[in-house]
Amino acid sequence: MKNVGIPILVLIIILILSLMLVAFQVRETEVAFVTRLGKHVRTMEDPGLYFKWPMPIEKVHKYDARLHVYEADMGETTTKGAVPIIIKTYAVWKVADPVSFYRSVGTVLQAEAKLYSQIQDTQNRIVSQHTFSEFVNSDKSKIALAQIQADMLADLKSSMETEYGIEVRTLGIKRLQINEKVSANVFNRMKTARNRKTEATITSGQAEATKIVTDAASIRKELLAAANGRAMAIRGQGDAEAAQFYKMLDAEPKFAIFLKNLEALKVMMQQRTTLVLPMDAAPFDLLVNAPDPNDWSE
Amino acid sequence: MTEEHTCPYQHHQPDDAQDALELDKMDTADKSLADALRISFIILKVIMVVVVIAFFASGFQTIGPDEQGLVLRFGKIQTVGSNGDVTLDPGLTWVFPYPIDEIIKVPVENRINLPVNSFWYYMTPQQVLNPKSLRPPGQTLNPIKDGYSLTRGESLADLVDGAAGGNDYNIVHSRWQITYKIKDAQLFFSNVFVRTVKPGDQFVDLMEKDVRPLLMCCFEEAVVTAMVQYSIDEALESKGLAEDVKQLVQAKLDSIDCGLSVQNVALNEITWPRQVAEAFDAFISASQEAKSKVNEAQTQADVTLTRTAGGGAREFSSALKDPATPEAKMDALWARLAGNAQEILAGANAYRTTVVAGAEATADYFNRLLPEYRKYPDLVVKNLYFDTVQDVIDGVDEKFIMQGEAGDQTRELRILLNRDPTLQRSGPTTPNPANAPY
Repeated sequence: MKNVGIPILVLIIILILSLMLVAFQVRETEVAFVTRLGKHVRTMEDPGLYFKWPMPIEKVHKYDARLHVYEADMGETTTKGAVPIIIKTYAVWKVADPVSFYRSVGTVLQAEAKLYSQIQDTQNRIVSQHTFSEFVNSDKSKIALAQIQADMLADLKSSMETEYGIEVRTLGIKRLQINEKVSANVFNRMKTARNRKTEATITSGQAEATKIVTDAASIRKELLAAANGRAMAIRGQGDAEAAQFYKMLDAEPKFAIFLKNLEALKVMMQQRTTLVLPMDAAPFDLLVNAPDPNDWSE
Repeated sequence: MTEEHTCPYQHHQPDDAQDALELDKMDTADKSLADALRISFIILKVIMVVVVIAFFASGFQTIGPDEQGLVLRFGKIQTVGSNGDVTLDPGLTWVFPYPIDEIIKVPVENRINLPVNSFWYYMTPQQVLNPKSLRPPGQTLNPIKDGYSLTRGESLADLVDGAAGGNDYNIVHSRWQITYKIKDAQLFFSNVFVRTVKPGDQFVDLMEKDVRPLLMCCFEEAVVTAMVQYSIDEALESKGLAEDVKQLVQAKLDSIDCGLSVQNVALNEITWPRQVAEAFDAFISASQEAKSKVNEAQTQADVTLTRTAGGGAREFSSALKDPATPEAKMDALWARLAGNAQEILAGANAYRTTVVAGAEATADYFNRLLPEYRKYPDLVVKNLYFDTVQDVIDGVDEKFIMQGEAGDQTRELRILLNRDPTLQRSGPTTPNPANAPY
C-alpha cells in the first residue's frame, strides 16, 4: 500500500502521452484527412476530437478552411469589338476538399499560382465575350457588370473546384480602367462635353431669368386689370348709391335742373373767361332803362 | 491525492515501538538524507498542488466588455446558452482547461476605420502631406499608378449602339472611408483568416491586418459597380452614392458569410480629373452666374409684384385664376392688397364716397329750398338766378357789354383777347368755396 499515488500519477502521465499520440483535434477553422501509410483513409468533415493510429502508421493532414483572398494582377485585355480595357480581378477562395487539394496543389502558395493563371485565363475569355458597352453604358439597363462577374465566377469555379478541391466563394472586378492613351481621348471628350454643358447652362439660366421677369410682368398686368375692373364696379356702385339721392329731386324736376344749371354755370365760368353780353340782358338793362314798378303787377 | 502522499510519512513519528527501534539503528547521515527527501517531497507536493490548481484556474477567463466569447471543445464550437446561443457575453466564465476547451474572444464592439485611397490619383507621401506641392498633371492617367473609376455617359441621345458604342464614359477620382465591425462572432471566427495570436500581439491588430485585403477587395468592387450606374454629375453630387456602395459591399460580405458588418461608408472626396479641371471650373462658375442671374430676375420679379399688389401678389394671382376660390377668401385677399392695385381701388373708393356725398348734399340743398320754392317760385328762382349771375360775372376776367340795336341788323365785333399768361393767371385759379352752393 505504500506510495500508491506515484504509480497512479505515472499512469495518468502515460495515458495522456499515449492519448496525444492517437488523438487529434480538428478545429472549427480547419479541414483534415488521415492517410495510412500514404493512402487516404478518411476525411474529417466536422470539427471535433478524432483518433488515429500513431505515427508512422497514420498521418493527419490539416488545412486552414477559412477564406483566402487572392488578387490577380491588373491586366489589359480586349472586349468583344476589340476595345482595350484594364481590369483587376480578385477571388475569395477556400479549401473545400482537402484530399484533392493535397494531391493537386498541396500548399496555399501553389494554389495561388494556379489561381493566377486560371483567373487570367477566365478574365480574358469572358471579357472577350462581352462588348465594352456592357461594362459602361449611358443606358443603365445595358450595363451587365454583374452578369460578367457571374460568368467569370462560374467559369473559374468549374475549372478550380473538381480538379483542385478549391471552392471559389466569390469573385469581383475591383478595378475597371482604360489604358493611358485612351485616357487622353476621354479627357478631350470630357472637356468638349463640359464646355457644351457650360454654354447650355448659361443659355438656360438666361432663359429662366427672362421667363421669371416676364411672368411677373404678366401677373402684374392681370392684377392691375382685375383691380381696374373692381374699381369700375366700385365707381358704378357709388353712382348707383348717388342715384338714390337724385330720386328725391323728382318732386320738382324743373327746379332741380335749374339748380344744377346754376351750379354748372358757376363752375364753368370760374376762370379764364371773357364774356360778351348784350346790354338788353338783365341786369344790364338797368344801365339804360330805369325800372317801372307799374309794369310789375301782373 | 494529497492525503495518499501524506500517509506513509506519518509512520515516521515515534508513536510506534518498532519504528522507534529502527530509528535508533539509523545513523545521523541516513537521518539527514531522509529529512532532505522528506522536505523535497513536501516541496514537490506543494508544487503539484499549485500546478493542479493553476491548471483548473486556467479555465477561468474574462470576456471584455467589447467582446464576445466562443467556446471550442476539442476544436468544435459549443452551444453555451439555453436557447442554442454559441456566444458568451462579457464577464467571468470557466471552461475546461486546454486542451479540452478553448475560449476565443472576438471583439465584436470594436469599430475599425479603413481609409480607401485606391481611386485617387497618384501622390507621393510628400504631396499627401502638402497638396500644394502637386505638380500640374500630365495629359493622361497611368492605370497602374493613378486610381479612378469610370462613370456612365450622360445622355441616351449620344449613345451609339454597336460593338464599340456606348463608350461615352467619364472618369472620376474618389476617396473613401469605411467603418466596420464584426457582427457575427461565429461566422467571423470560422470563415475569416486571422493569424494565430502570439504573445505580444493584439488580436485586434492582427484582425485589422488580415481582414483588410478581403474588405478592400469587396469594397473596391462595390465602388466600381456603383460608379458605372452613375453619371459624372450624379456622382459629383454624391447623393446616395455612399449608401449604394454600402449596400453593395454589405451584400457581398454577407454572401461569403464572413460575419462582418459595414457600419458606415463615407465618401470623403470626389472630384473630376485634374486634366479637365479648367472646363469643369468654367462650368461651375457659369452655373453660379446663371444662378445669380435667376436670383436677380427673381428679385426683380418680386419687386414688380410687391409694387403691384404687395406681398401676397402671387397668392392673389393664383386665387384669382382658380374659379374654385371661395368668395370669402377672395374678399380677404382683396382686403389685403397693397401697391398699385390698392391705389386703384382707393381711387375708386374715394370717387364713390365723393359722388355719394355730392348727391346727398345736392338732395339736401334741394330739400331745404323746396318749401320756399313752393311758396314763392318766381321770387326764389329769380333770386338764385341773379345771385349766380352776379357771382359769375364778378369772377369773369374781361367783360364786354354791348349796346343793342333795333331791328335785326347784324353787327360785327372784334375783340383782341389778351393772351398774356400772367394776366390769365391773375384770375381766380381755384374755385372759391364760398361761391359754391355746396
